[in-house]
Amino acid sequence: MTNALEVEDLRKSYRDLDALKGVSLTVPEGSFFGLLGPNGAGKTTFINVLVGLVRASGGDARVFGHDVEDDYRQARDCIGLAPQEFNVDRFFPIHEVLEHKAGYHGVPHEVAAERADRALKQVGIYDKRDTRFDWLSGGMKRRFMLARALVTDPDLLILDEPSAGVDVQLRRDLWDLVTELNEEGTTVLLTTHYIEEAERLCDEVAILDRGRVVTVASPEELMDRGTDRVVIALREPPASADALSELRPGDDRIEDVSLEEDRLVVTARQGGLVAPDLVRELDRAGHEILDMEIKRTSLEEVFVDMTRHEEGDGRPDGDGVDGDDDDEGGNDRDDDAPLETAATGDREGSR
Amino acid sequence: MSGDGRTVDLTGFLTLTKREVLRFLRRPSNTFAPPFITNVLYFSVFGVILGERVGTITGVPYILFILPGLVVLGAVSNSFENASFSIFHGRWNEYIHEVLTSPLSYAGMVGAYVLAAATRGLLVGGLIAAIGWAIVSALFRPVPVEEPVYLLAFMLVITLLFASLGVIGGLAASDFDDLTVMNQFILRPLVFFGAVFYSLEDLTPLLRDVSLLNPMVYMVNGVRYGFLGVAEVDPRLSLVVLAGMTAAAVGLDVLLFKRGYGLTD
Repeated sequence: MTNALEVEDLRKSYRDLDALKGVSLTVPEGSFFGLLGPNGAGKTTFINVLVGLVRASGGDARVFGHDVEDDYRQARDCIGLAPQEFNVDRFFPIHEVLEHKAGYHGVPHEVAAERADRALKQVGIYDKRDTRFDWLSGGMKRRFMLARALVTDPDLLILDEPSAGVDVQLRRDLWDLVTELNEEGTTVLLTTHYIEEAERLCDEVAILDRGRVVTVASPEELMDRGTDRVVIALREPPASADALSELRPGDDRIEDVSLEEDRLVVTARQGGLVAPDLVRELDRAGHEILDMEIKRTSLEEVFVDMTRHEEGDGRPDGDGVDGDDDDEGGNDRDDDAPLETAATGDREGSR
Repeated sequence: MSGDGRTVDLTGFLTLTKREVLRFLRRPSNTFAPPFITNVLYFSVFGVILGERVGTITGVPYILFILPGLVVLGAVSNSFENASFSIFHGRWNEYIHEVLTSPLSYAGMVGAYVLAAATRGLLVGGLIAAIGWAIVSALFRPVPVEEPVYLLAFMLVITLLFASLGVIGGLAASDFDDLTVMNQFILRPLVFFGAVFYSLEDLTPLLRDVSLLNPMVYMVNGVRYGFLGVAEVDPRLSLVVLAGMTAAAVGLDVLLFKRGYGLTD
């Protein structure tokens, strides 16, 4: 089976910053792949190399076997990108923007018009088809970004922070739609700050930090690498945790045993598997268990742990390379432009 | 995916050209009204009021003499402005990414921007010619176009040339002020010193020789030959040189797009 994405030793250097330091990744066709990382990790740079907006300093990247530089046209034709920034043509109503985008991909006008309508219906803003992008609400703008990515019928859908700043309902709508597309065969590459999103949607995630891939694994595998907490209430708790030292006879999964407010707290990897052994040992030692709760480590905790840095270690936080801020709309430069472009029809917006 | 490369490129090229043309057609108050008003004023003040005092130049009424130059001024400045503004505005607001992330070839992208901008130049040039012809016909008599093939060829070449120069301007600009500087401080002086309002014969030998270094002289001269059948410089040579410059400028555009100059990080 062809891989949707094969990246080897991808590097990108700016003047005084190495944004990508040899990223290697493989994304299987049909998978739902997550790219996690803190601000400045290099996620958006990575994506922009794939679509031709950033030129790599070294390494190779292939989309469905097409090199992103040598076979750039075939590679780009495979990709539908919903970037974090609102980089949309402001001169035309949104249905025309979609028709144009499809046309750039070689879709004849009549088919492009049908696809534009379909994409707008898919994301639920068909009734706004004659509106310009500037007049859409924040949530609708985010929906439109997805519609634009879909209108070319891509084999690889790249979503860069698709749910940044959107409300819960819209986020769930987006999740449902993207999941459906993935089930129909579209490969999805998702970057997100919402760890829950990756946990819920992705088959596999790569954690990117400071331009390097820290790890690639399924969310479940990653969570297994974290430590769970097994909290047990005993009828007669001992005076100190030392009295319970018999609980860990050579089990290297158990990292710590303590007493917190009369409850026994066992910190262990794969807490779900450790718990039955704990129950047996406690029973054997004559303790009566009143209640037990397993608090599973979250992907977020694993993520934070893997990307944690000491203060002052030179992490390029907020350096602007990634552009993946947490605010809605990201780096929407139009807000700062000296013109309100086509919408207001002022001089600079309409020459 | 959408189809084979050639289909994608032709459809993509036509779509981008259409998008670019619609952008200026749908905003006539910004694209056609200003040259209309400006040229009515030019013809009224320079052609009618001052023209009566000037009399004839190279055997034709002054208003008829300046008409080709004003057509060139409007055509080239609109070609340049359309391409440079469209590219820079797209860069500024980043919506040019819609094009850059598509499977369109770099030649297809450049071709669409250049062709659409040249179309605007031709339309504005035609508008100015119509205004001038209407006034000339009212004041004197209807005058036929003496060399229509040359006129068309020169208009095509100069609008394509300035459209392709506009692409370079749009890629090189880092601010909207840069576009104004290019238009007001480079383009207009070249046109005004390009023998639009005067004959080269009226200049001293030194100034005439210096003027011949200005490419605009050949453009104005060529278009004037097309309209009036009189030329101060060999129109065939001018056409060949200008066509060569156009080909070079388009080639440079494609190279800049390919290298991502002003477009990619």
